[in-house]
Amino acid sequence: MATKAYDKSFREEVYQNVDSGEDVKLCMQCGVCGITCPLRGEMTHGPRQLWSLIRAGKREEVMNSPDIMLCTSCYSCKVRCPRGVKVIDVMHGLAHYALEQGIVPRKETAKFGKAFWDSIYKTGRVDETEVPMRYTMMAGPIHGIFNMLEMMDIGRALLAHKRMKFKIGPGLPPSKKIRGMKGLKKMLDKAKSMSPGKEG
Amino acid sequence: MTYFLYPGCSLEAGGSHYQVSVEAVAKALGLTLKEIADWNCCGASIHYVGGTELQTKTLNARNLALAQNQGGYDIIAPCSSCYIQMIKTAHEFEEDPKLAEELNQILAEGGLNYTGGVKVRHVLDVLYNDLGVERLAAAVKKPLTGLKVASYYGCQTTRPYGEYDSVENPHTMDEILEALGAEVVPFEHKAKCCGSGIFFTEMETCAPLAGGILGEAEERGADMIVTACPMCQMNLEIYQPRLNKMLGTEYDMPVVFVTQLMALAFGGDFKKDAALDRNIVSAAEVLKKSAA
Repeated sequence: MATKAYDKSFREEVYQNVDSGEDVKLCMQCGVCGITCPLRGEMTHGPRQLWSLIRAGKREEVMNSPDIMLCTSCYSCKVRCPRGVKVIDVMHGLAHYALEQGIVPRKETAKFGKAFWDSIYKTGRVDETEVPMRYTMMAGPIHGIFNMLEMMDIGRALLAHKRMKFKIGPGLPPSKKIRGMKGLKKMLDKAKSMSPGKEG
Repeated sequence: MTYFLYPGCSLEAGGSHYQVSVEAVAKALGLTLKEIADWNCCGASIHYVGGTELQTKTLNARNLALAQNQGGYDIIAPCSSCYIQMIKTAHEFEEDPKLAEELNQILAEGGLNYTGGVKVRHVLDVLYNDLGVERLAAAVKKPLTGLKVASYYGCQTTRPYGEYDSVENPHTMDEILEALGAEVVPFEHKAKCCGSGIFFTEMETCAPLAGGILGEAEERGADMIVTACPMCQMNLEIYQPRLNKMLGTEYDMPVVFVTQLMALAFGGDFKKDAALDRNIVSAAEVLKKSAA
């Protein structure tokens, strides 16, 4: 009977380019991660199956799986994994890798996450008024305004309960930067250049 | 006893009542809290969209280095997301010499250096282990007699290392609440996830998670949910009207920080110390039931 060899190139790609990707090697396919996940009912594959697909060279299925961005980072799988796989870090690594290649597994989380990271990269902190505002405006000028209006009740309540700073709009007034922002930016750039798949 | 307080971004905004009450509790117990000067964000749960793992570790290594330079006291991170990010970097720095070297190469770009050893602690850890429930009980002036609470830790509060409590079945906050005189109801959801960092952008998907937590608290007859995580507090509280719409429920459940109840039980002011006026689902009514 003819057998088909697995395509090993994708697993090597993951081991080398994805943050914590090498942890996939440790997996023994017990499935505890999958059944532990609070969103197991929403996942198409779940971590165990994703690791299996990586080993089997199923690039398309893995990279396009919405699961890689559905992780809530609850660490339930991480604390239960008998092999010590850093499940969360691999999921996040895969999501980052897919996004970098223009694949967007979950649109809204990707937009919000971008506004979140931009705030860190520009100011050193996350401004809880600025980031949701920038996120809502990413839907475009018209949809953005509608989305913003939809969030008004939450914003008003937070404002009234001294849990939010007032802003007229994104950047009005601009968020404060940490004093060491210049140094932090240099550090973050250096860290990026030293990250897996980014060397050289 | 002196500690660093790492407020993180959320205690400056959505979790401002956590900050106020942590400070009030520290004052009542004679702890000195110093803020790490010029701290930066930890990256939280959603860091990976824009940043690599090493970049996120860099954020946390910078805070650890600043803490070391500014006195090296233990760092209290009340926010569970900050706690998990910082303790992960602190642990991996000690365990992985190659990573430690890389991080120091990176820190050098900003003129910093870290040699390891700074401890990252959750606020529950410090309250339970450094002070102890007996000392907490002794500080109570207005016991919370008659108050029934669901003690909700959330997912990241004791994970991933279980440094001070069980990762599956934690008990430290239960004991603290009992020391205040409250009745802690059995609560199976105590360490289950509410949706965390993706709750806001995946609300339909995460609604059953938050609904399960609110639902069990109500079934158990709890007057309120008590938590030690600003993300849980936010997700479970401010979105209750939306959740009710999605799930066809009628929850009106206060969600308060453990330190808010402590501040109150220690004789502090409802507003000034416990910041209970900052809860959107008000706990004032149910608190009237208890002596406090």
